[in-house]
Order: sequence, then structure tokens, then C-alpha cells
Amino acid sequence: MTRLCVNGETHDLACEDRDSLAGVLRDRLGLTATRIGCQHGSCGACNLLLDGVPVRGCLVPVALAEGQAVTTLEGLRDDPVMIRLREAFTAHHALQCGYCTAGMLVAARDLILRGRATSAAEVRAGLAGQLCRCTGYDGIVAAVLQAAQ
Amino acid sequence: MVAMEAKGWIGASVPRREDARHLLGQGVFAGDVTAPGMLELAFWRSPVAHGRIGAVTRPAGVFGAGEIGPVTLLPAGPDMPGFRQAPYPPLADGVVRFVGQPVLAALAATRGAAEDLCARCEVEIAPLPAFADVPAALAPGAAVLHPGWADNRYGSGHVKAGDVAGLDAPIRIRRKLGLGRQSAAPMEPRALIAVPDRRTGELVLHISSQGPHVLRHALAAMLGLPESRLRVVAPDVGGGFGAKNRLMPEEVVACALALKLDRPIRWVEDRREHLMAGAQAREHLYDLTLHATRDGIALGIEGELWVDAGAYALWPTGAFAEAGMAARNLGGPYGIAHLDVRHHTVATTKPPMGPYRGVGRTGACFAIERLMDALADEVGVSRYEIRRRNLIAKLPHVTAAGMTLDTGDYPAALEACVGMLDLPALEARRAAGERVGVGFAIYTEQSGHGTAEWAGRKARVVPGHETATLRMHPDGSLTLLTAIHNHGQGLETTLAQIVAEELGLHPEAIAVRHGDTGLSPFGFGTFASRSLVFAGGAAKAAAEMLGAKLRRIAAHFLQADLALVELRGGRAWAGAASLPLVDLAHAATMRQERLPPGEPPGLEATADYCPPEDAGVFSYGVHAAVVRVDAETGAVALEDYCVAEDCGTMINPMIVDGQVKGGVVQGIGTALTEELRFDAEAQPLSTTFADYRLPDAPSLPEIRVLHLVTPARCTVHGAKGVGEGGAIAPPAAIASAVEQALGLGMVVTATPVTPRRVLSVLP
Amino acid sequence: MIPAPFTLRRTADWDALPALLEDALPLGGGQSLMPLLALRLAEPAALVPLRDLPGLSEIAERDGALWIGAGVTHARIEDGIGPVPLREWLSLVASGIAYRPVRNLGTLGGSLALHDPASDWPVALLALGASAVLRQGDMRRVLLVEKFCTGAFATALQPGEVIEAVTIPIPATGTRFGWCKLAPAPGAFAEALAGVLHAPGAAPRIAVASPAGARLMPEAPPPDDPHLARLRDVAIRRAGA
Repeated sequence: MTRLCVNGETHDLACEDRDSLAGVLRDRLGLTATRIGCQHGSCGACNLLLDGVPVRGCLVPVALAEGQAVTTLEGLRDDPVMIRLREAFTAHHALQCGYCTAGMLVAARDLILRGRATSAAEVRAGLAGQLCRCTGYDGIVAAVLQAAQ
Repeated sequence: MVAMEAKGWIGASVPRREDARHLLGQGVFAGDVTAPGMLELAFWRSPVAHGRIGAVTRPAGVFGAGEIGPVTLLPAGPDMPGFRQAPYPPLADGVVRFVGQPVLAALAATRGAAEDLCARCEVEIAPLPAFADVPAALAPGAAVLHPGWADNRYGSGHVKAGDVAGLDAPIRIRRKLGLGRQSAAPMEPRALIAVPDRRTGELVLHISSQGPHVLRHALAAMLGLPESRLRVVAPDVGGGFGAKNRLMPEEVVACALALKLDRPIRWVEDRREHLMAGAQAREHLYDLTLHATRDGIALGIEGELWVDAGAYALWPTGAFAEAGMAARNLGGPYGIAHLDVRHHTVATTKPPMGPYRGVGRTGACFAIERLMDALADEVGVSRYEIRRRNLIAKLPHVTAAGMTLDTGDYPAALEACVGMLDLPALEARRAAGERVGVGFAIYTEQSGHGTAEWAGRKARVVPGHETATLRMHPDGSLTLLTAIHNHGQGLETTLAQIVAEELGLHPEAIAVRHGDTGLSPFGFGTFASRSLVFAGGAAKAAAEMLGAKLRRIAAHFLQADLALVELRGGRAWAGAASLPLVDLAHAATMRQERLPPGEPPGLEATADYCPPEDAGVFSYGVHAAVVRVDAETGAVALEDYCVAEDCGTMINPMIVDGQVKGGVVQGIGTALTEELRFDAEAQPLSTTFADYRLPDAPSLPEIRVLHLVTPARCTVHGAKGVGEGGAIAPPAAIASAVEQALGLGMVVTATPVTPRRVLSVLP
Repeated sequence: MIPAPFTLRRTADWDALPALLEDALPLGGGQSLMPLLALRLAEPAALVPLRDLPGLSEIAERDGALWIGAGVTHARIEDGIGPVPLREWLSLVASGIAYRPVRNLGTLGGSLALHDPASDWPVALLALGASAVLRQGDMRRVLLVEKFCTGAFATALQPGEVIEAVTIPIPATGTRFGWCKLAPAPGAFAEALAGVLHAPGAAPRIAVASPAGARLMPEAPPPDDPHLARLRDVAIRRAGA
């Protein structure tokens, strides 16, 4: 059995060792905000927090998340930074199809909390490897800057 | 019901209603849908580009061609006798024709277990010759890919107007040009789950699709099902860009197996599958000669173009629109009266080509704009000046290929774009030795085209109309049902704006539902920059019908002259007297004895819409790219990117900006980084995002957009399509800018303009 | 794209490790290994995560060198460890590796042990004159990085042996370090890498990525591809050689 603590709830699940954390969250716990876009760490759609730190959920064998706090976008509903980010994303049209959005928000929140969202250039650099195919990124950059203020 | 401002929703940057669910992670994509008893599907795919299948060893749970139940292959490609058929079997039957082609289908409780079954399969394949590109496929003596073909062309066409040969033009510039092969690469790969519904007897397919109704038609025909027993639901779709608008083998196999086994079957494409076997795009080759006067006035274009369409034609139209559209659009926004261009759609041992944002025109724009740059160099004027001299000055204008460029002011757009730049400052930097340069490219974007245009292309599906149903419920709330699909375009918001404008309501009062054959009337889906024009037209017409009925009932209740009744703020008004719409809705549905004599009950309107201008309405724009080139490494850095565009009336300017910027960045990918590469044996070399590189934020400047607004003559509120335009011009603009930065003439002839290519053109 | 089945063998015992590794691969942060497994380019029967081994995340100054446990992540190095100026140099290298969520799990030791010829740490550590502390049970040996990196994807690690730490000599006052990574985009794998260490009074020590992995100039074999060879020359110059 794998014991996972996800968004403050504990789950005991029979998993295969090869299962990824992102896959288990999606298929076993129905936490589908964590999206899978490449399964090789290049796109960032599966970003989630492990002990508060963003990681690629597709590259973490689920058993290695035991003993750590897993937080997905679903668990950040009332997070004050996330509330500001949601408002700013809507105001700046920072999403279109919505598929990259959860991973983008998790990455953006981390930039803000680390104080790395003080200029457009810094936000762009910090969003390296967060792929969005729809927006061209301008709205995202503007939204992160606004939410960081 | 929310009642706010009665008028003024057209042109308002209303925040998108779609955002809230995605920002909370509550969007539902096809890969999120599950069903009890579901099996996961994985494919054993061909490891070789071309070969004959021999002995197959496989474990239980793995199905081959002929074992998935009856499937009828459909003819695909244009509906014309000369187009050769290459039906794409759901599972390879005897021969494989590209690396990644599905050969065997494995089912297991998890995707991992299904892939394990694939790993245990052994398939003998006797190699046959691979043709990795057009020259190889058309080489004399090349083997043919499909039985009965005389050579490896699906078909050819000829666009001829005027008399190029008779021009006797003093300047002739011949160039060979090409665009790399691409993947649309939406962030959500394809995904589907086919679920037998035992209550209704329907097979319900949830699938990441741009057009569920048309997909249902094809799938039902292939599976031998009545369409009434197949429901196709496209839930949230994580980007399409054309890649999710063709019938693909995986959905046929999944549905066939779900029917055969009476169990839910799910398949979720992984990124490697998408890059290896999803619909591919672009890859054009051109050999063109531009005829011009010594003043730099372009007169005619002659030559040939080839499209590498891959091994099969995807239903319905394959990639044939690609070559024909490229040929017909070669004149671009210029008054070139003479065209003599042969186009060829060629089969290679690569994955089939599908549509991708900008279909045909990204290549055509690259070709004509590169030729215009060469012409400028030849006659010794600036690349800006050559465009100023050649742009069509007055619209409407019928092009040599017969397309009517309807409204707008192309020279004004050029001046507007130039006005966004500080060209003297750029020139000063160049004078100081910096390797910076600016390039311009101009495009037109045919959008909202209807029956005659599609029928003229011999399309098997002629998307010349769209239907909407608007239903007012007994409590006065409204639902708009439409068959287009919204996968990022914000149509749930903009269609609500259009209905709100008509009925004097707040957009939030109108629910918009789409993407479900079980809900909406038949329609074609979202592609070809058509949805706002078509579905907007249908929504507006339905709202007008419903509004008329509401006014008739209100006139009766208010004892007023019908002509005096207007709808505003959620109420019907006659002078100072008014009624809430909910009273009218209640009467029309629950209390019909209150209706005026002869007024039928119900508050539902279904309207069909065909745009009056069949040839479509043409958006257009001027792009300017400013680049800095590192002459040591060949790296190209984009410093600035400006767009002056005109897509007619903007229903929601914020959304228009998003469409333009998103399109531009995809075009920047075409220009600089994205390429599906193959080796000489047609083995794919770009099967991960580490190898197929999408642009990301650090590599991009802000995309600056300026709007000129010339309403279309006949569309809803004068709007034109805007989805594709952004992706058309960037390769041409960036190639030109790189040359200026390096102080070179027209030497960049292919995309992507990688550091290797840059260094290869340096003297 | 799911890895072939494997079992995870957890251990926090250095002495138990060699036996567990007999038919298994060690797993550091997994940021390189998990994609390879997902693509089924490798199909080990078992993986042994190293992160529970005691001391693996230790950072200390000892004997004139900075000791960095093999399990220390790129992100932690990016955020600053050790004394100035090494602190800035290491941060600069770390910040160019992949993307922050990857750097949060990817480890110094994992990167060095894989020795991908396009990866950053082997070249940087080689330039800095670092050594790898190798451990098997309770036996340790220390190898200079130039001895450790034997070829592309090849190292001097013996069966059952893993990297416990990396030690980097604290540079003498006045020493300068130059670093140049030429990649198609920020975070992408390098097309050329060069690190140069200038100690006062000594010849510059130039490390580069080569087809044979991280090597010192002038011994490093040139890339076969003329384009990459040209980029390497540019990188060496820009790194300040």
C-alpha cells in the first residue's frame, strides 16, 4: 500500500511502483487538475507541490511521494496568492484552452513566493519550460506581474 | 437572471466565462472521463517506414486488422476522379507505410499493462523502400506506395490566370523555397473514451475533437452504425489548431473494440504518439519565378509547388486543400494578375498530413513575401517600398485566382505597422554595428467561407452552413445550442455576447452548450476561422426569431403597439410600461392560455445561417519582426514583434488580441524552432518536446497588436474570422529580418531559420 | 509512454546498498532517469532510491573544499550554498539546468553519475577541479572528475558503488570562473558547454562538453559536426578563456 497525503487528506492506495504521482492523482483520486502533456518533464502541465515545492508530477514515482505533502491545484483554492493569480489570469486573458493553466498557476505562484516576479523579463525567464500553445504568453506574463504586486 | 446594460455587448472585452473552471482545475477533458469496467488501449506501431507485414506473435488481449469487427474504409481526399485513393486502415493490413502507423491494438486494465502487452508482440516486417521526402518519392523509378498508382502523387492541379508566358517581363526572379514539417502540438494530446450505453443502445464517444457531428458521420459509416446510435461528445478540448479535425485510426479502433467487447475503451495519446503519428502539417516546396517590371511592380508568378502529404489521405479532405490553397493564395495582397502554378500533393512514407492553423497560406505567404524581398533587392528599393508599390490599393478586388478580397485598406495597414516601429533608431543601431534587422510580411486570411468555396475545392464535406438553437426556459433563463466547438477561442463568451446584444440581456444570462451531438443541431465544428461568422450568424438569427416572439407576447400583455415594444435590461418595454421576460417565458411554456390568440406555445428558435458572401471575408494584417542575430552562433533573438491587423468588427477585442498573439507565436515556432525531422529512412527524429521545440516565454518579446477595423459587408456585426491569421506571416517576416540584420540579400529560403541555417547563409 | 514494470527497493542503509544494486539502477532525483524509463529506453527490473541514505544532502566546508552531498538538488545550489565566490558560480551553473520544477528534484550526484555529454554539471565540476566521493558500503574512494568521467554516459563507478558527494576546492583569492552554455533555448540541453577556471598565476583550466563527455582542453575530442565544433570554440571564448 502507498500512503499519500494529498491536499490534507490521507489515502492508502494499492499502486504499482512504476505509477507516476500525476497518473495516480488523476486516475485513482480523480484529481484531474494535474494535466499530462508530455510525460517527459518538458511541458509543465503536471506541476504540483511536494512539500510546498513545485515538481513535475509525471516524473515522480508515486511511492516516493510517501511521507511528503502533495498539493494539487484543487488544494490551492483558498490560497491567497492563487486567488490573486486567478483574478489576474482572467483580467489579462492568460488562458485559452485551459490545459496548461494548472501547471502554469503552480509555477507562477512559486515565482511570486520566491520574489522572482518583479519584471516582465524575470517572469518570462522564470516561466521557461512552461509551455502554452494558445496565448503567446503575453497575458500570462502580465497576469503574474499583477498578482505579484 | 442577470440584467444589466441593454446594449453595447458588441465590442466589449467581456471577461471569459470559460476561465473560472480552468483556473480551478475543473475543466473536463476527454482524458479525464472514466467509466466502470474501462479498458485502456495502447498501440503497437510500426518501427519501419515501409514494409510488408509477415508473421505476428502476440499475447491474448492484442488485436490485429480484421479482428476488431467490421470496418468499412471511406474514400478520402477531394471528391474528384483524378485524386488517387489511399485509404487509411485503422490497423495496418499487410503493409505499413510510416513509422508509428498502428498495427496492433492492445487492451488491458491500465495503460502500462497495455503497453506491456505491446512489448511482448513480435511482428516480422520485410522492408520496402522508404521515401523520406518529395524528391525521393518522385525520383524516376521510385517504387509506388499504393497499389495501382502510376507515381507517388495523390493528385495535381493547375491554377492559371492571365498569361505569364506572354508578359515578356524584364525582371524574372526564380527561387526554390520550402517550409519545414510541423506538428500542431496542442498541449492536450488527443484522447477518447468509447462507452456503450446499455439503456439507449448508443455508443457514447467522448473525444478531444474540433467537430463532433462530422466525426460522428464518418465513424458511424465506418462502423456500420446508424448515426442515431452514436453520440459524440467533445468536452473541454485542450487546443486543436487543426490537429483534431480529421478522422484518425485510433478512434475507429477504440469504438470498434467497445462495440465488439461491450466495454468502455479509453485511449489517451501520449506526446511521442502525437509527434510520431498524429496529423502533421506544412512541409511545402516551391520552385517559382516572379515576373516584374523594372519599377518593381510584380506582374505574374509561374512555377510549381509540392506538398508532402505523407502516406495516407485523412478523411474527409486529406491534405489536398493545402496545395490548392497555397497555389491560389500565392498572389497574396498584391495585384498580381498572372498566375501559372502547378501544384502536387505527394505521398511519402511519413505520417499523413492534416490541416494546421494557416492551412496552405503560411507557405504561400512565405513564398510570395520572399519573392517580393528578392524583387526589392533586385530593383534596389527597400523591402518596405516594394510592398508599398505592390499592395492592392482599393477593395474589393478580385484576385487572379478568383478570390474576392472584400473590405479593408492594405496600404493603411502597412503604414500603421511601420508607425509602430522606431525605424531610425534601428538604423542607428545597425550603423553602429549591431546585427539587428526588421522584416515585413503581409497576409490575407480567408475566413467564414461558405458553400461555393468549399464545393469548388471538391470537398467531401461542404461546411457551408451552421445552425443554432436558442431556448428560453420557463424561468426565463436561456440556453444556446451550437455545433461549433470552443477549445480556447472564447466562443462561449462571444456567442453569449451576440445573443445578449439581440435580446437586451447580460451575456451571463445565456448558457452556451456545444460539442455534443446529443444536444445541438447538426453542424461542422470549429476550423478555418469560421465559427464566429457562422455560429455567430446562426445565434444572432435565432435570437432575432426568439426576440420577435417575445415582443409579440409582450405587446399583447402590455396592450401596446408591437412596433413600440423593445427588449432591454431583462424586460420588455412599451414606453414606460414594462414586464420581466420571465413572465413572458412562463406564459409561453407553462401558461399558454395567456398567449395572444394564434401564438404557438414554446420559446425556442432554431436558425440556420449561410453567409451571404460564399467566398468568405478576408481579414488581413501586416507583421513586422525585429531580430538580433548572433553571427557567431547563428542564434536569432526576437526583439520586437508588431502586428497591424484588420478582422472587421471585433465582438470581444480582448479575445481577438489573444487569437492574434497566440497565432503569431505559433508562426514564430514555424519560423525559428519547430521541425519534425526525419532521417533518410524516414525514421522520425523529433518525438519529444526536447527535440520538437515549441516557443516558450523567455524566447519571446511582447507581441504588440494594433487593430484597424473595417467591417465586413454582410456578416454578423461585420465581423471576420481571426483564428489563423497570426500564424501566417511570421516565417516570412522573420526570414527577412534575419537577412537585414546580417546585411544580406534574399538568401533564407527555408524554415525553420535555425542557427545552422543562419550560419550556412553567411558568406 | 509508461515505464516497464520495476520495483522500488527503499533503503536507508549504506551497507545494504551494494546488494540491492546488483540487478538494479540507483535513482537520484529521477529527472533524467524517469523520462528514459517512460520512453522504455531502459527497462531495469528494480530501482533503488538513494535519497534516504544518511548524509546525502549534507553541505559542509572541509579541508579547504566544499562538500556537497550527491542528493543536493540543483535548486538548492541555485539558491546559494557555500562561500562566495563559489556560491555565485555554482548558482549560475545550476540556474541554467532545465526548469525550476525539474531543478527542485534533480540532484548534483544524479547528473554527474549519468554523465550525459550534454549535461551541465560534469563540465562545470571538471573546470572547478572537483572530485567525486564514491562509496560502496562503508568503503570510500575519491576520484577527480577527470578520472571519474570516462566517456559519454560512462563513469568510473563500480557495481554497487554510488556517488556520496562532490568536493570542490575553495578557490584561491583572485580566482575567476567563466561559464558558457549555448543551447537552443533556456533550460534546453546544451549544444556547447565550456567552463574556465583562472587561478592567479596558473594557466586557465578549460573544460568542455565533448563526444566523450566532459573533458579538459586541449585533450577533448572535437565534435564531428562542424556546426557544433564552431559553437564549442565560441563557448570557450565566451567563457573567458
